Amino acid sequence: MMEVSALTTIVFWAASGMTLGLAVIVVTQRDVFRAAIALAGSFLGVGILYFVLNAEFVGVVQILVYVGAISVLMAFAVMFIQDIASGSRPSEGRLFAVVVSVLLFSAVVFTAYNSNWSSMDEINDPLALHALTDGYVEVGTGTDISILKDPPIDSDAVVVENGGVLVDSTGPIGVMLIREYMLAFEIIGLLLVATLIGGLLLMRDRAPENEPENGDASV
Amino acid sequence: MTIESVLAVSAALFAIGAYGVISRRSLVTVIMSLELMFNGVVIAAVAFSRFTPSAALIAADPLTAEAIRSSLTGHTFAIFVTAVAAGEAALAFALVFAMYRAVESVEITDASEMKN
Repeated sequence: MMEVSALTTIVFWAASGMTLGLAVIVVTQRDVFRAAIALAGSFLGVGILYFVLNAEFVGVVQILVYVGAISVLMAFAVMFIQDIASGSRPSEGRLFAVVVSVLLFSAVVFTAYNSNWSSMDEINDPLALHALTDGYVEVGTGTDISILKDPPIDSDAVVVENGGVLVDSTGPIGVMLIREYMLAFEIIGLLLVATLIGGLLLMRDRAPENEPENGDASV
Repeated sequence: MTIESVLAVSAALFAIGAYGVISRRSLVTVIMSLELMFNGVVIAAVAFSRFTPSAALIAADPLTAEAIRSSLTGHTFAIFVTAVAAGEAALAFALVFAMYRAVESVEITDASEMKN
């Protein structure tokens, strides 16, 4: 099920090459502004990887948040801090860093190639397979919902037709966020508000006594 | 494209980010490398969602909508990690600016001067 076409494989390796090549530029380039541009390209490559992996919604979020927002934040930071024009010097721990990253990489790759990953072929239920790739139908409401392959012809129950969750993932992700992961979703909102207030507090000008007392400054 | 090759790409991105975090001296490049590491982890989560069936789906009898949706847990995880990473980047740059204002430098070795 869900065969990988040759074109998909070519796009996957091209996007991987783009991502990893630009990531190497990010960590080796002395000019920080060039590193920021390479970082945006690397994020875009990761976004393409998500599309290749059938995760359209995650890919769009990646492009909006990383390529759109975080890259602009990085470029702004690089331009704001003039000190950085002198370049980002590598520290003394370069050899140690190479050793650590090579060990990390080989440990994960060794695990990936020596583990017996379960595959989609282990799903025996034909209805489950059909629901993953071609879609399913929910019949009923509340706790009394049954899953069917095709909509019933003569039924007065509530019928909801869904696409295959692996090929049309956006809708199911939205349902998951407000059902299974409701609490985490709310906490993320709280976290973002806390981050916003914390960022404003850190960036606040710490010299209120220098501000004019009367309204002369306002024109 | 198999799950092994996707995991290898994700491990490579994570390792490159780790190299950057340890070897760079400027805080701005360290934060950039941290974002690369975040991306490496999220690629792995999405890859597991794409190639391996969820345990709930295999065990489900009878089949429920929750079990079908649980195949997308990796995608949901990716959304949450992206949200946390965005907040982390904003807060980290606020800290870098605060440090730059205080000690006129963004090098990690100068961060110890922030004690006062």
